[in-house]
Parts: sequence; structure tokens; C-alpha cells
Amino acid sequence: MSAANMTMRKLTLAAICVISTLAVSPSQAQQATELHVTYSKGQFQPSELRAPADKPVTFRVKNLDAKAMEFESKSLRVEKVVAANSEGVINVRALKPGRYEFYDDFNEKARGALTVQ
Amino acid sequence: MRRWAGQWRSLGLMISCVLFGCAGGARAQDASSWKDIETKYIFGFTTGSGIGLEGEKEFTIDTIGRFGKRDGHYAATETKYEFEFTPSQFIQIEFGALGATHNIGGVTDLDDRSQFALSGAFAEFRYLALERTSSNPLAVTLAVEPTVRRIDETSGERVRNFELETIINADLELMRNRLFAGFNLLYEPEGTRTAMGDTLREAKFGGSAALSLRIASNIVVGGEVWYLRHYDSIGLSAFSGDAVMLGPTLYIAFTPKMFMTAAWNTQVWGREVGNPVSLNLAEFQRNRARLKFAWEF
Repeated sequence: MSAANMTMRKLTLAAICVISTLAVSPSQAQQATELHVTYSKGQFQPSELRAPADKPVTFRVKNLDAKAMEFESKSLRVEKVVAANSEGVINVRALKPGRYEFYDDFNEKARGALTVQ
Repeated sequence: MRRWAGQWRSLGLMISCVLFGCAGGARAQDASSWKDIETKYIFGFTTGSGIGLEGEKEFTIDTIGRFGKRDGHYAATETKYEFEFTPSQFIQIEFGALGATHNIGGVTDLDDRSQFALSGAFAEFRYLALERTSSNPLAVTLAVEPTVRRIDETSGERVRNFELETIINADLELMRNRLFAGFNLLYEPEGTRTAMGDTLREAKFGGSAALSLRIASNIVVGGEVWYLRHYDSIGLSAFSGDAVMLGPTLYIAFTPKMFMTAAWNTQVWGREVGNPVSLNLAEFQRNRARLKFAWEF
């Protein structure tokens, strides 16, 4: 194996170690704010939610409809399919203040938002 | 080269027709009602900060074509057959195999060849260092991509090559859901052992700026510019030339789970150290194109 390849492999290993270290989230030990959302007739209820900043959030999404829905949010960076007549639990990192929109990816009209203050 | 470039141009024309057809029906849409967009793929060769959604998986076919050297005809492509997933809300991991084609004839310093080969493998690790919120329009991701190749990217020769792309992907939401700016900063050292037993070390260093406008909820158009420097060492000490590449970009989401991105870059300025010619066609190419299809599941 050439010296150049050895150097490159060491660089790769170092870079992966740095990223792995950065990946450890300090928020995991904090107690999460639980938010209960019902999905019925293609709508979230309530559709406007609030949570405190810098604390993890747990969504408990109860799908009362007869078909599956997908709880999804680009800004929360989560997605989860919730089967018909069942509950899905979605854990979200500690959030900075702001407005985070969510929706049902199977139903364009079902929208909601979480305001973090 | 002309035949390949012609095919890519035809594809570009076809995509443009689709684009304007779609855009016509979407002019009246209100951007405030659009869902947030994943920014990773909307800037062409420039990569946005997006890392996907926790739990999301994606299969991607990503082809980059490089066309045109100083003389003869030159067309080379490298395709990534890629699986990517997002195990946490801060990390994305990608890996896959590489396929390469080379169609070279009459190019100085390169052997003539026409070949397809499975050329290597790669992995990428992306970490979201700064996230966008409704009050902070800037997002930044750090990424490293180790790649091994058994076929040289430029010449198509059998080699043992190891490359480590390190890149900072940043993007800025200039208008809510509508206008985005993207920036990349790249350092890409590599080492190659040739079939003759020689060891070559080189590096690329550079950056890009891109602007992308979402003209419909599922269509984004834009442009980007890249400035790239090439060194005959991995420590950025033996500068050998640089180039500026410029071109348009396009992103279309066909469904919420399936999309494509396309880009075309032309070298508009370049220089080779010790060779007083216009453009740098020794280390870079006259044109490059990217076409990527992705399926999320």
C-alpha cells in the first residue's frame, strides 16, 4: 500500500471520528414536552401547537381515520407512517424558537404547525 | 465528444420543454402554501445543506458527465448507484458503487479507449452543523466522502486511487419557500498508484455559489458558478492550474417521493501553469453535466 493511500485513509478515519463526536446530541437526556395530536377526517386536531424552546418534543399522533397517514416535516426533519386507527410516537430534538410546519405526506390539505417559544 | 455533448443538449432541451410546460400551469400558485423544500439537490453541482428526514431512505442514480479536452474527442461519465439514509436528525450516511464510461480518441497524453467498467465504491457522512429555523435563514452541513477507484476518472486506465472529498455545504433562504442561495467550499485530496507503479498525489480546492428560484411547488431553476484550483500535491503547495465553470441548474419533483436534478457547467475561464493557453483543459474539462434521479422510501 502506498504512503499516499495510507495518509488518505488516516485522514478519512480522522474525519469520520470528528463527525461521530459532533453527532452526539446533548439534548437526549432532557425530559421531552409531550404533544398530543389527533388525525381525523384528513385534518390535524389541534393544528396549531406550542412548545418551549431548547427542550425535546414528543409528538403522539393518533390516527382515527380508516387509512394510514404519514406525519412529516422538513423543518422538524422527521417522518413517520401511522397506520389506520393507531398511534405513532415521533421524537424530536430540542428545538430553537421558531415556527415548524408539519403535514400528512399522503394528503396535501392536512397541515399543522408547531410554534416554539 | 460532439455526439455525447449533442445527446446531453437534446436532453437539456427536452427538460426545458417539460419545465416551461409545468411552469405555465403553476404561475398563479402562492409560495406561502408550499411545503418546505429539501435544499440538498436544488443547486446542481453545488450541494445544499439538507440531510433528509430521520428514518428516511433513498436510492439514487447520479451521473456526472465530463466532455471536451484540448484536442480529439473526450467523453467520460461516472455514475453513483447510491443508497442513503438518515439515522438521526443531524446525520446522513450514503454509500454505493461507481460505474464509469470513457470514450476517448486523439486526446494528447490520453490513450484512445471506449469502455464501461464498475470503477469503485464510496461512502459519505454528513453532519448538520447549523440548522435553519424560521428566524435563522442559514443552514450549514459538513461532509466527508471517501472514495476508492480502480479506474482513473480522467483517463480510464487501471489504477488504485483513493480520494477524500471534504466539503462545507451552506445555504441561505433569501425569500421564504421561494429563493435560495447555496455555497460550497471543497477540499479534495487524492492519491493514485498507476499500473506502472508510480504514485501520484494531487488535490482540488475551490468553492461555488448558486442561486435557485422555486417557480412552482415542485420545480426549481437556477444557476451556479464554481472556482476550482488543482494542485500536484495533497498539501496545496504545488499549484498547477485553475478554472471557472458556470451554468444552469434544474430540480423537478415528480411526486413527493421521486425527483430529479440536472445541471450543465461550461468552463468560461481557466489557466494551466506553464502553458499559455486559454482555459484549463489538462485538469478540468470543457463541459460537465449532472443528471440525478432519486426515489425516497
